[in-house]
This record gives sequence, C-alpha cells and structure tokens, in this order.
Amino acid sequence: MLYRSTLLPALLAAGALLLSPAANADDNGSISVTDDTDREVRLDTPAERIVSLAPHITEVLFAIGAGDRVIGATDHSDYPEEASNIPRIGGYTSLDLERILAKEPDLVVAWDSGNSRSHVERLRELGLTVYTSEPRGFDGVASSMERMAKLAGTGDQGRAEAERFLDEIEALRQKYADREPVPLFYQVWDQPLMTVNDDHLIAEAIAVCGGENVFGHLDRLVPRMDREAVIEADPEVIIGGGMGEDDPTWVEDWRQWDNMLAVRRDNLFFLPPSLLQRHTPRIAEGTAMMCEELQNARDRRPDSP
Amino acid sequence: MTRSFLLAAGVLLPASLLSLVVALAWGSVAIPLGELPRVLTGEASALHATLITELRLPRALAAFAAGGLLGVAGALMQVLLRNPLADPYVLGLSGGASVGALLAMLAGLSMFSVSAAAFAGAMLSTLIVFGLAHGTGSWTATRLLLTGVVVAAGWGALISFLLAVSPTEELPGMLYWLMGDVSHARHPGPAWGVLVFVVLAALPLGRTLNVLARGPMQAASLGVSVRPVEWSIYIAASLITATAVTQVGAVGFVGLIVPHMLRLVFGNDQRVILPASALAGGILLTLADTLARTIIAPEQLPVGVITAMLGVPVFLFLLYRSR
Repeated sequence: MLYRSTLLPALLAAGALLLSPAANADDNGSISVTDDTDREVRLDTPAERIVSLAPHITEVLFAIGAGDRVIGATDHSDYPEEASNIPRIGGYTSLDLERILAKEPDLVVAWDSGNSRSHVERLRELGLTVYTSEPRGFDGVASSMERMAKLAGTGDQGRAEAERFLDEIEALRQKYADREPVPLFYQVWDQPLMTVNDDHLIAEAIAVCGGENVFGHLDRLVPRMDREAVIEADPEVIIGGGMGEDDPTWVEDWRQWDNMLAVRRDNLFFLPPSLLQRHTPRIAEGTAMMCEELQNARDRRPDSP
Repeated sequence: MTRSFLLAAGVLLPASLLSLVVALAWGSVAIPLGELPRVLTGEASALHATLITELRLPRALAAFAAGGLLGVAGALMQVLLRNPLADPYVLGLSGGASVGALLAMLAGLSMFSVSAAAFAGAMLSTLIVFGLAHGTGSWTATRLLLTGVVVAAGWGALISFLLAVSPTEELPGMLYWLMGDVSHARHPGPAWGVLVFVVLAALPLGRTLNVLARGPMQAASLGVSVRPVEWSIYIAASLITATAVTQVGAVGFVGLIVPHMLRLVFGNDQRVILPASALAGGILLTLADTLARTIIAPEQLPVGVITAMLGVPVFLFLLYRSR
C-alpha cells in the first residue's frame, strides 16, 4: 500500500511536468513554428539569446514578454525605453554580420522586406536559427506575436497579448466601421509625397475607422503622389506622420491650399508614425487615435446634429 | 624599367600582404592579433575561427581582387583613350551594369542573379558603344570616348528612373549597390582567376602598350597594328570591369586614381603600371572595405564612400609633390 500511495502522486506529478511544456512543444520535445516565408523554424529549447533585426521586431519581442532575452538589436530599436540599452548590431539595411555572430544567439528574428536577403541567408548558412517575419495586416501582427512567443517560451503571454490586440481592434471595428464614410488622404512621407494603397497595413486601420482612402485603388503599395492629385481629390481629412513622433509640419503644410475641404474644416491631423507605420501591437493605439480624429471630422460636418 | 619594376614589387607586394592581414585582424568584433596564427593551426576559438575564415577572409579577398581588376581596367582605359580622365566606367560600363543589377533587384532575384545581371548589363553596354563607335569605319579615340560618355548619360537616366519607380523597401539595397558594397561578396575565386590571368597576359604586351600610349601614329609607324590592339584593350578592360562589378557593385574612383598615383611615383611604363595597378588597386579597396565595416561599427558603410576619402588626399599629395 505504501508503495502504491507514493507511486500515484509521483506519476501524477510527472504527468503534469510532461503536460505543461507539451503545450508549446511537439512530440520530440522541440519547438517548431512556420515563419512568414513558409520555413519551419525549430528549436530544442526556448530561445534565450535573441537578436532582432528590425525596430518593430524588438518592440514585438518586448510586448510578448521576451524583451529580457533580446541581446542584440538594430538601430532605432527605441520602444519600449529599455530597448534603447540593448547592444546594437547595425542598421536594418546594413547589418554587422560579425557582431551578430559574436553574440552567439540561439534565435535571430529577421525582417523579410527590410533586411538584405543575402545577409539573412548568410546568417542561416553560418548555422544560426533564423525566423523571418513579414506580417501582413492585423491578423499577421497577432499571429507573429503568437509564433515568436512560442519560440521564446513565453507562449501564454504571447497568446494573451495577441488576443487583447485583436479584441481592441474588433471593438473599434464594431464602433466605427459602419459609420458615415470619411474620404481621407494618408501622408506617409513628404518629399517625395507618398501615400498608401488599400493593401497596406494602414489601410486596414482606415477601414476599421470607417475611412475611405481616396488613393486606395492605386497599384503600388506606397505610391508617390503629385500634390495636384491630392488637391483635385479634395479629401475631407488629411492624416499624416512626420519626421519625428511630435512633428506636425507635414500636415500643417497643407494650410496654404485654403480652399481644400480638409483645410476649411480644419481636418488636418497628425498621428505619431510609430503608432501606425510599424507592425506592432501599438498599432491598435494608433488606430484608436485615427478613429477619434475621423469622428471629429464627422462632427464638423455642417449637417451633423 | 627593371629598377622601377623592382621598386614597385618591393613596396607593393609586402603592402598587399599587410593589407590582407589588416583586413583579417580588424573587424567590428575585437579579436586579439595572436588569434590569427592560431586559426591556421586550429587552436582558435570556434567563434573567432568562423569570424575570420567565413566572414572576413572571403570579403577581404573579394575586395582585393575587385580593387585590382578596377586598377588594371583603369590603366588600360587611360592608354586606350589617351585621356587622363578615363576610368573603367567612362564608357558607360558601370551604367549598364547598374541597370542590370537594379532590374534584377526589382524582380526580387537572389544576389547571384544580381551579379549575373550586372555582368550582362556591362557587356550590353560594351556592345552598344562598340557598335556605335565603329559606325561607318572611321574611328578615333575621341569618337569612342564621346560615344561612351553619351551612352553612360543614357544609363544614368535609366538608373534614376528605376530608383524613382522602385518600392521604398528596395531603395537602401539599391543605393548601397550603386555606391559599392562588398558585404554580399562570397566567392572571390573567379575574380582572382581573371586578375592573375590579366596581369600575366599584360606583361608581354607592355611594350606594345607603351608605344600605343604615345599615340596611334607613332605606334603604326613602329609596326603596331593599332586597330586590333585598341579593340582588344577595350574588350579586355570591359570584361575586367564587369568581373569587378559583379563582386562589389559600382565602386567608383579606384580605376581613375590608382594608375595616376603609380605613374607619379614609378613613371609611365605600362610593364610596371599594369601589375602595380593590380596590387595598389587591391590594397586600396581592401583597406577601404576594412574601414567601411569598422569605422562607425556596428553601422556599415558602402565601400565607395571610403575609397574616395582615402584616395583623394593621397592623390592630391602626390600630385602636389610632383610639380
């Protein structure tokens, strides 16, 4: 009896031990996810030494609770504040391969459209495990968070954050998406003047808020625009980023065209670029700000109650 | 000739070795100098061995070969065109190569295909200039030069067009390629093969080139069949430049400045200048690339920025002293 009474709890404990990591691991006990370039990324144990090859990736790693495992990051990895103290490994377009290798990371998270593919390929050939990230849209941001969290062994927090992010977006969609459409021009850059089309991440924020991108139909993801075309389209709202997080000079510049509808109604809105132009969960915050500004524009309509 | 040949060899050969050692020893990660010999004996740490043999060595060898090729191509072009402003790119070669490379990048092809497209573009440009300058048969160096410069201007317009219509995320890579970037170079073997072959082949032709450098009339009167020699130089210089461009992109300045520097020091004897240009070009680009990857590390610079920063003061000093 004694034998039996000690064995059973022991078995239960062993089972519990086996079960808890099983949530994040496959049969071999290793972790495996598919990255955005359809490559399988496999780790034997959760990553503890992570190098991030883009500012928004650093930000996502912090959001999923893996910030303390990031031992190298590219320039401009400035959010959250602790990220500024991580040792630098070059700019995202010009990686210092030597320093990345010297960090001896067990996981490198690359940015497919930002990093040079030949550099990333080189890192892989040198034996590093590389997860390549290229999130498309809000769902992509959420699923990136979940997959990166799985690799970093913070799966629960990653899932929770991803869920919270999608919930916030869904709440905004419920509230604003079906309101009166607001024709708008989104300015990504000033010289040359650039906007986005309907395939861009920002377009999804615009749709959630019930906006209507006047240049959404253009072919290029980030079309370069002529000022005349914007004046002719005469959007009700002009929203733009700027050189910094608090620099509305680009949108204010439109005031010289004082017979544009957006100028007459004072619908020139600045939104901090890092809240809308980076693929991070903070885009929910940027979207909320955009929704409020579009609502302000609706309220300024002469026929509004 | 023998004296300046020995002098050039005595200075440039050790300097070449030294530049390669510097490139291996110096990087953005500090590795003690003592590790270098230990990499050879296999006693170095695995990390240091990887950094030196997998990253620094191929890169240093690629930079040296490309610099050497550009130096030789520049020396040949200056003989061919009898114009001190001639460089490997003056006839539109880099323009053709750049258009090829940018198109390949725009199509999202691999770095190997980008190199191949650059080579094809350079050769296409060579054929266009060759065909047009050949024209109805009458032919002068001036005509070749003018054709080349105008074709180059055409390529320049195409490059600007491609940059203007390319997606924003491709632009940094494109600009780095246009300014010259050794960080993608992986396989310096073929470039070294071409470099060694060219230097060995040019040595016995040095006397002919010397005569040609004095002008086609004198050369013809001394029994040189000017036209075939000139076309051979043109084709050879084009192939050499195209090979260099596939390794490091459109690095400027090396081909212009290196042969002139050497002439100021060793005199204008092609039997000395051609091999010396190979070594000095290699040294310049190897050192420039070492600086490009370390000077503001972890930030990486395109090597073309550094070649000019190193070359301009050295050249101006030599020119000033030679008055």
